Amino acid sequence: MGGRLPGLKGMALVAATITGALIAASGAIALLAPLGVTHAAPVYLLAVVAVGMRWGTIPAVVTSVAAFLAYDFLFVQPLYTFTVNSPEEWLNLLLLLAVAVAIGRLVALQAEHAEEVAQRAREAQALFGISRALVETRTVEEAAPIVLERLAAAAAMDRIWFGLGATPTEEKTIADTAPGQPLPVPAWQVVLQRSPGNEPARWVRMHVATAMVRRKADRATVHRVRVEASGEALGSVWALRARDEREPDRAETRILSAAADQLGQAIVRDRAGLERTNAEIARRGEALKTALLDSVSHDLRTPLATIRAAAGSMLDESVAWTPADQREAFQAIDTEAERMGRLVRNLLDLSRIEGGALKPELEPCDLEDLVAQVVKRAGAATNKHVRVEGAESLPPVLADQLYLSQVLANLLENAIRHGGQAIRIRASQLPDGLVEISVEDNGPGVSKAALPHLFEKFYQAGPSGEGKRRGMGIGMTVVEGLTRAMHGEVAAGRSDLGGLRVDVRLRPALVPDEAPGPAAAGPAEADVSAPAERTAP
Amino acid sequence: MTGPALLIVEDEGPSLRALTDYLAHRGYVAYEAATAQEAMRQWDAHRPDLVLLDLGLPDLDGVEIIRRIRREATTPIIILSAREDERDKIGGLEAGADDYLTKPFAMDELNARIRAVLRRAGGPDADSEGRLRLGPIELDAVKREVRVSGEQVRLTPREYELLKVMLSSQGRVLTKGRLLRAVWGLAYAEESTYLHVYVNRLRRKLSAAAPAASLEGLIETEPGIGYRIADHDSLSAMPPSGTEASR
Repeated sequence: MGGRLPGLKGMALVAATITGALIAASGAIALLAPLGVTHAAPVYLLAVVAVGMRWGTIPAVVTSVAAFLAYDFLFVQPLYTFTVNSPEEWLNLLLLLAVAVAIGRLVALQAEHAEEVAQRAREAQALFGISRALVETRTVEEAAPIVLERLAAAAAMDRIWFGLGATPTEEKTIADTAPGQPLPVPAWQVVLQRSPGNEPARWVRMHVATAMVRRKADRATVHRVRVEASGEALGSVWALRARDEREPDRAETRILSAAADQLGQAIVRDRAGLERTNAEIARRGEALKTALLDSVSHDLRTPLATIRAAAGSMLDESVAWTPADQREAFQAIDTEAERMGRLVRNLLDLSRIEGGALKPELEPCDLEDLVAQVVKRAGAATNKHVRVEGAESLPPVLADQLYLSQVLANLLENAIRHGGQAIRIRASQLPDGLVEISVEDNGPGVSKAALPHLFEKFYQAGPSGEGKRRGMGIGMTVVEGLTRAMHGEVAAGRSDLGGLRVDVRLRPALVPDEAPGPAAAGPAEADVSAPAERTAP
Repeated sequence: MTGPALLIVEDEGPSLRALTDYLAHRGYVAYEAATAQEAMRQWDAHRPDLVLLDLGLPDLDGVEIIRRIRREATTPIIILSAREDERDKIGGLEAGADDYLTKPFAMDELNARIRAVLRRAGGPDADSEGRLRLGPIELDAVKREVRVSGEQVRLTPREYELLKVMLSSQGRVLTKGRLLRAVWGLAYAEESTYLHVYVNRLRRKLSAAAPAASLEGLIETEPGIGYRIADHDSLSAMPPSGTEASR
């Protein structure tokens, strides 16, 4: 508080101290004279000390002078005049004045220093609170309300808001201690000019071009502290003090300035974080793309290699092939071409699933027929035993023929590739009316930890780290996507054969001619008919 | 008559069957393996003359098989790879494989590669006097001289070393890393621009020394991998450069 010149309030204060000193003097006369105490000087010094501690240097000095005059008037011969007779009395008086001034000044400095320390502590605490808010939150937007709240308290402001933007007109307010209220239109702006180096910052009053503001300018003065980082203007902290017009003092200026710096740093930090995140996203996307391309190329080349080997063999005229050899080669070419076709279909389906472009044509499908077809096609390429159970006695399911074939072919191929020797396809109707088709094998299966990821894109179950990646990791994703498109559901678990078991559950087709089947008595899901069901006859 | 014995390691059943059938009909004795374990068993039992190896096996990385075979023998190994990624092939070649084929490949190509590596495996690259020969090129390791069709070629020490390494690996694919390590040392293993510049200079100097000799295909660039060095047969199989072909 020290160095500030007293204003009107201060003048009143001085008057009060003089009055106080005089009252103290009268009191001294009343108390001391009857008791015969001649040296009342300490009483005056006491008054000076009290004033200095309470109000600072200037009032203390004024009190000293007042005390000097009062002492002269009351205790120095001749009494009740300001005249001084003896030179010793002059000396006494002057000494009293000097001591009073010195003590007053010292006491005031001490008090000011204590005040300064307390102020610094408050500032440090406020800044600490602001830093913590910035550290504990993820973004400046999140931190700003807390920061401004603390700043308003620490800098004794009535309202503080924070705008982001290169210039005041471009600024977007991201936080405000009085949100919702219209921002003031000030006639004056007081901008904190901060110069590099150790020069103290100073407030510069600037007239606001009101031409661009339609509203009549408010009387209020708005303080603006620029938020910058490495010379780049990022925005401003705006502070409004409605109570009085005084300029922020040194401490308030310091804290406003420090908070603006911290906000600037936090914005820079946010940006760097965002850049890192974007870079990471790009990197992962790139890695995924590479993995996909690598998988696709591997999976397409593998059957192609067999086709070329078989066809190339047949073309070699130096070799005499028997009809049986030829037949085997053509069979291999056919099977591998079919496999490639399925891979391409999976890729296309995957992109349709992801793009939400699946348009299933749901119609009643006879499971027995469909399963037999799929098994026949897949079985040609394998010597593994595929057993089919229960498909003959079931109602037709509501499905898209092509999608369901693809789903079953993917599951079967998966079982053939990863499973053991025995594969079982079992169809049954569940108590809730849904028709379940389970594809099981007696292979090594999928670990419990891996099961939840089985339908994720590019996920490769099975022993990792060794050997090659098997398949693209999209077959199961396509199974799930297509099944969902047919309003069905899919689940994976452990088969009692020992390997993997995947269940596809589909709704039975409602055949109007027949008596209500189990589907009619089915659960509510059956009633949540998707529009596609209307296409069912 | 029984031809050379081949071990075909490939985990894709249909591919394995097609390859084995074909190569058996071409007069080779074909042994097959679908896993690394099986491959090692067949290797121990038959000691074939050549191994065709798919790197992606279910039980073990194919590179590991190459290392095991190389500990015991110099039997030629050709990698079969369905991967776009060159790292697999480089890894295999660095581990000691002789050549590679990317799937799908033509049967003609496979035949040619098998013949080339079998030929090279037949005899030593250098004769008893330390001379390396390839087509019209002759490198005398004792005198440190290089001649093309009898014409001496002046090479810098690096170029000479590079040519020497290449002539010692006729009919094989040398990875960039391997060449850099052999000629410049370990510290330069990543500096493939060096290599590119030196190889081009070497090619130029050799053809300039004897414009009449056909050196087409002597050092072929294998993109992303390194360089394929011709062998005597494949170099002389090139059409001899006529008068208008002399540059």
